[in-house]
Amino acid sequence: MSVYLPETQYLDPEVLQKLGDLELVAREVVEGLRVGSHRSPLRGFSTEFAHHRQYAPGDPIRSIDWRVFGRTERYYTKLYEAETNFDCHILIDSSASMSYGSGKVNKLEYAKFLAASIAYLVLKQRDSVGLSVFDSEVRAYMPPRSSMGVILEIDRMLRVTKPVPKTTVAKQLHDIALLMKRRSFVVLISDLFSDVDDIMAGLDHLKFDGHNVVVIQPLDPYELEFPFKGTWRFEGLEGEEPLTTQTDRMRESYLADLQKYLDDLSSRCVGSHIDYTMTHTKRPLDAVLSEVILQRQNLSGSSVAARS
Amino acid sequence: MTFLNPLLLIAGLGIGLPILAHLFTRFQVQHTDWAAMQFLNRNVRVRSRQIKLRDLLLLILRCVALLLLVLALSRPAWTGDSWLPGERRAGVVIAIDSSFSMGHGGEGSTRFDEALKRVELISGKMVPGDPVTLVLLGDDHRVLLRNMAYDRERFAEALQSGKVSPESLDLGSVPKELAELVTDMEAPQKEIYLITDGQSRDWKQPSAQLREGLAALAAEAELFVVPVPGDPTNLAVTDLELVSGVLRKGTTARYRATVRNFGVAPVSNIMVQCRVDDAQIDSKVIPLIGAGASETVSLFVPFHNAGATRITAEVTGDMLPADNVRRTVAVVRDKVSLLCVDGSSGDAGRLVVAALLARADGAQSEDYVVRAVPWLSFPAEKLEEVDVIVFADVPEITEEQAAQLTRFVRKGGGLVWFAGDGVKVGAWNERASSGEGALLPARIGRVVDTSDALGAGKPLDPEMPDHHVCLPLLSLPEDLFNETRFLRQIEVEPRASSFSVLQLAGSGAPILLEQSLGRGHVFMFTTTAETAWNNMALTPVFPMVMQQIVTYLAGRKFEGPRTVGDSLTLTYVEQPDASDAVFDTPTGETITVPVREHQGQYVALLETAPEAGFYEARVSVQAAGIPIAVNVDPRESDVACLPESELRANLEGLGAKVTASDEELAAAIESTRTGRSAWRFFMIAGLAFLIFESLFADRLLRRGPSRQDNPATREPQNA
Repeated sequence: MSVYLPETQYLDPEVLQKLGDLELVAREVVEGLRVGSHRSPLRGFSTEFAHHRQYAPGDPIRSIDWRVFGRTERYYTKLYEAETNFDCHILIDSSASMSYGSGKVNKLEYAKFLAASIAYLVLKQRDSVGLSVFDSEVRAYMPPRSSMGVILEIDRMLRVTKPVPKTTVAKQLHDIALLMKRRSFVVLISDLFSDVDDIMAGLDHLKFDGHNVVVIQPLDPYELEFPFKGTWRFEGLEGEEPLTTQTDRMRESYLADLQKYLDDLSSRCVGSHIDYTMTHTKRPLDAVLSEVILQRQNLSGSSVAARS
Repeated sequence: MTFLNPLLLIAGLGIGLPILAHLFTRFQVQHTDWAAMQFLNRNVRVRSRQIKLRDLLLLILRCVALLLLVLALSRPAWTGDSWLPGERRAGVVIAIDSSFSMGHGGEGSTRFDEALKRVELISGKMVPGDPVTLVLLGDDHRVLLRNMAYDRERFAEALQSGKVSPESLDLGSVPKELAELVTDMEAPQKEIYLITDGQSRDWKQPSAQLREGLAALAAEAELFVVPVPGDPTNLAVTDLELVSGVLRKGTTARYRATVRNFGVAPVSNIMVQCRVDDAQIDSKVIPLIGAGASETVSLFVPFHNAGATRITAEVTGDMLPADNVRRTVAVVRDKVSLLCVDGSSGDAGRLVVAALLARADGAQSEDYVVRAVPWLSFPAEKLEEVDVIVFADVPEITEEQAAQLTRFVRKGGGLVWFAGDGVKVGAWNERASSGEGALLPARIGRVVDTSDALGAGKPLDPEMPDHHVCLPLLSLPEDLFNETRFLRQIEVEPRASSFSVLQLAGSGAPILLEQSLGRGHVFMFTTTAETAWNNMALTPVFPMVMQQIVTYLAGRKFEGPRTVGDSLTLTYVEQPDASDAVFDTPTGETITVPVREHQGQYVALLETAPEAGFYEARVSVQAAGIPIAVNVDPRESDVACLPESELRANLEGLGAKVTASDEELAAAIESTRTGRSAWRFFMIAGLAFLIFESLFADRLLRRGPSRQDNPATREPQNA
């Protein structure tokens, strides 16, 4: 049960995988969200001033431009560009590490479901969705569009991309940032198995460019729990040197290091005003999205207050 | 090597196999792809070869520890030399001859005392905890300790209770007894010590069965025969019997005591003392008894009182007191009354009376009455006043008379029955010869002719059994003996309980049969008392036989002395009121036995008479006692021991070791005790391996990072 939306029905990723059709998957997830009946907060807000109009009774008092009043002694309401249109850009990490999965759904597939669900949600609002797929390079880029065909494109792009090891995240994020012409709502779906500084450098660049950034980090339950017993040989997916070890002696240090890394990442994201959500591939998708949405709603409120 | 608990070994290996499988699979390396390599502590890297080597070492240590513990619990044992350390262990059976010959010797230096010294030597070489069995051998072997874990004090206590018994040694049953005892034991090595004086009568010519038994015993265990011989000198009173005289108050009976010199040198001036109810009444001196010879003396015993009289004949000054006394009981009567019931024309009665009165004085006395009455007068006679009834050619008796006679005999009366022309076979068979507890010893058949072609009758068979009635006939010259001829007799079908005393020569057809009935006896002649069918009455045979019969019946010779180990019986005339009878032993112990019905009679049976002396048998606790004399077996009095060399020769090839001296015994034990048990060694080694493996594994594990709180399974964390 979600802490935020107790009435939400959960859709198991392995069940959704059986649906086959990604659009159907996305619709199932999103319609499940709509049952909870809440407004999607995935709307951009921007401080980009568009123009004034004369104040009409009923306009929010906070939207009155007081400087203009000081000069003209007349009331005028400010209007912003984000309230008129909205671009959501989804960035999917398709590197080799995302191909790991202890169950039927690996991280990449889970990321695909998430991306499709987010795209469906945004497209339903008649906003636009763009897509980038990257590993060691940006493998594919699709500018924002407002048709449902985007979801099929997600499927196609991920299918043709062969997972290769990546070295850093920052460079790819920098490249993607250059591709985005206007300020967008950026959703990064990646396991973020890289250096935290490197990751934050990329994310900060996006923030600096004025984008709203949401980070969703899907991990595998085995990566979180490390349930191995006995002697194991670990073959690195990102090209690392294999390691043979006694897992009983390894477990505590692994979990400690992982937790430290996650805490560091989380706190740095919060510090940079980046929404950060860590999940695992057995977690129902609607639950994840619900939490992201709720978090976004909370952040939107606080951000407006901060701006004002 | 053998295992004393082999099942535990199999079970232990069975348990070990799954453990081995588990340990084996544990040190196989598994593979997986992995994305989160950056979080794996490469300092904990173990090269696969190192893992294999370490795990292999731990696996070996655990397996070795398990194997050692299983081996320890299965109690490995072996004989012979071995590089493995082990304690010398053995299960020991010590069998001591406790027959009365072992009591031969002076105070504190009897053969049995020597045997106890050997036992001390043997027990001195035993290890506490080893199984030990201690048994006293005799006629009835007694186990003092059975498969006990050796403890010096308990063993000494049990040994102290061991005493010489008055029994003789039943050597034939010893191998079987010892085999059963040794089979019970579990030990790396088993040893049997048979300590005996090695009497010549037992060991000189061992039977094939004994040899086989000893060989089988030696195959199962180390068998040591430990002789404790002694001086062969021994005098014993081997017999005391009534020779002549009727056991009647006021008369004197002649007893004959036989003294034998079992030694190798002649003995002179042997005093034989006769006691009646512990009062010495006669004594005689035997001037000389040669080595291995016997001499007899006549002892005259006056009977002043009626009743059971205890008579003993004793020699003194001997190194084996147990056989110096011989005992007997005489039942003295106030008077003896004989009644002849004559069914003939009168001849039979006259001849019977004459035969019974044929004595030196040739006359009756008030204490010895012999009467003849016609058979039709029989019903008027008071049988309780009669001791012996003779039926001569009586045609028949009624049912009531048959019952009356049966009661008479059961109470202790004697009956003598003669055939004749007037005997009605059918009536006698129906009333006195049928069913259990029938009066006569045989069913009567037809009359047959026993004469030869010349018309002469057949004589008696000179081969006679050892019976009191036959004793005087043995001294009869052959020509006189053969004068008695039998022309006719009745054919008979003897009962299983009857005994043929006299037979016809050639055919072996019984002339005289005997059977016991209750406390009495019945003699049955298959011929006539008068001379119609034989000339017996005209020869010395008739009076001799008749008087012996009367002496036998009146003197209750059939209630003669018993031998130690025999059973003692008390026979009841009718079903007793009390359900138990009582036997008082010579040492004053009271043994109660139940009364049981057996073949139509009521009998109380004491299964074994354990001591020599006079027992008192009582029909109930309150009743007067009937004395029974019990003597030692005179065969055991031959205390001569087989020389050691002969003993060794006789036991050659059987696997038994003869150890004649303490030194030889000690050396034999030392050299043959090669059985070793190493369970302690394996147990300690197994535990040591376990401890070492635990420390080693713990040290290897300690090389990893220190333990911290494990946040493994938590819900995904949000910022």
